[in-house]
Amino acid sequence: MTDGHLFNNISLGGRGGTNPGQLKIYSRGILWKKQGGGKAVEVDKSDILGVTWMKVPRTNQLGVRIKDGLYYKFTGFRDQDVASLTNFFQNTCGMTPEEKQLSVSGRNWGEVDLNGNMLTFLVGSKQAFEVSLADVSQTQMQGKNDVILEFHVDDTAGANEKDSLMEIAFHVPNSNTQFVGDENRP
Amino acid sequence: GDSRSASKTSADLIAYKSVNDLPPPRDLMIQVDQRNEAVLLPIYGSMVPFHVATIRTVSSQADTNRNCYIRIIFNVPGTPFNPHDANTLKTQGSIYLKEVSFRSKDPRHISEAVQQIKALRRQVMARESERAERAT
Repeated sequence: MTDGHLFNNISLGGRGGTNPGQLKIYSRGILWKKQGGGKAVEVDKSDILGVTWMKVPRTNQLGVRIKDGLYYKFTGFRDQDVASLTNFFQNTCGMTPEEKQLSVSGRNWGEVDLNGNMLTFLVGSKQAFEVSLADVSQTQMQGKNDVILEFHVDDTAGANEKDSLMEIAFHVPNSNTQFVGDENRP
Repeated sequence: GDSRSASKTSADLIAYKSVNDLPPPRDLMIQVDQRNEAVLLPIYGSMVPFHVATIRTVSSQADTNRNCYIRIIFNVPGTPFNPHDANTLKTQGSIYLKEVSFRSKDPRHISEAVQQIKALRRQVMARESERAERAT
């Protein structure tokens, strides 16, 4: 292979779970194809805003944020892939991947961060989970302090998820000053 | 008693110390890890752990389309018997995950999960209140 890197077992994660596939990262950008055909994701190099690495159980996850606010998450990279791809992103795209950390403490209190379409729940400054606001069908306030996000019912994803997230609610105590006065978003 | 966490208060209970302590990824479905007292929830393709002590109630429900729903409500400040209340000062300004609900096509798996979470929660709560009593 003269141009770029090819990986055969990389999963694309999202609302409906994960799908295994093949990922090519090369000078023109990123191309992911679902195993057995079907869904494909193509990202032009010039549309990439930033990339992140995160250690997840047994493997590594690459996050790719693109111009229209979307955020792709690819999982299944070995530690040596992280090193070589980090070099590749630096040399080819002129960007240094940012390192994120995953929270596994099991706590339910932390901070909410909004970036593009993504809502991230952080515990002790580490990421506990992320959801895409593009998949939220409705938001509701319950009382003064609770915000409920309802997700689209999606049967078309065809991913391997057995239990599907339908609703998530955050409690914003009065002592929180981050989201005072904004009733539409947590 | 459990010597592993004997010196901690319940608000200090943590599920895992490091990323690689999590159980190997399996199916993306709700799982209960008895050993680490954790409930793992599939959120956007990842298994997200919560210590069972953060959970207040869990319930399930079925609809006419053979769908089954599970609702997990977490402890937040201002609710009675909240083990974190003693620590609200420490966590002041935090936002809490209050509730999640999932839909499943497998009612048996959901009722198993509900039973397991309830049993584990009872067990951990009994141990923690016993410890609190001994400490006073």
